[in-house]
Amino acid sequence: MADVPATEVALGDAAEAALGFLTEMSPDLRGAAILDSTGAVLAAAEDPERWREDAAALFEIADRAGAEPVEQVHVATEQGEVFALRHAGLAAIAVTERFALASLMFFDMRSTLRDLATAGRRADKSTVTRQIGPSTPGEG
Amino acid sequence: MAPKPHRVLLDRVSGYADEAAAYMRRRRVSRRPFARLYYPNGRSADHADDSSAGAELFVAAGRLIEVAGKRPKA
Repeated sequence: MADVPATEVALGDAAEAALGFLTEMSPDLRGAAILDSTGAVLAAAEDPERWREDAAALFEIADRAGAEPVEQVHVATEQGEVFALRHAGLAAIAVTERFALASLMFFDMRSTLRDLATAGRRADKSTVTRQIGPSTPGEG
Repeated sequence: MAPKPHRVLLDRVSGYADEAAAYMRRRRVSRRPFARLYYPNGRSADHADDSSAGAELFVAAGRLIEVAGKRPKA
């Protein structure tokens, strides 16, 4: 853990908290994961490696299906429903029971990612401030 | 004799609840699997399960459902 930047640790912690909050808010949720812009898993219900691979595959297929990258994916099957969303440089994937309300699910996922992105920017800023230090002697 | 006002209100509320329950029942019965993609400009596209993209999306979604597993009973 020594060579992991502090911002990544902070964002990972925030993602874990955000995932917990999302799970609490959505009674139909079976499992979910939050990924960063590179596709790395910041938080996942369990088995992050499987979530990373399968989420990447879903987004890759969805992007290939149209002329431009997708923003949201909703696949409803007999076994359950899959929601995927890209927002603010992050991505969230959620698997729910059948007949979950899509608009609510996407709303919760979007607000979770928005809050997480804000927390990430804040963490970035504090790290930069720590590295550079106060701009004038005596400040801070 | 006119019904008491609270009776009218109760009847109306239970009428709405019945309508909502019937809507949810119809939705459960009639809804078929689908794959829908949404784009940043607000456009959306449906992919049937017999199209190549649709079939791939269903397979990818199936893998994710498998990873998530069943929801533990409360």
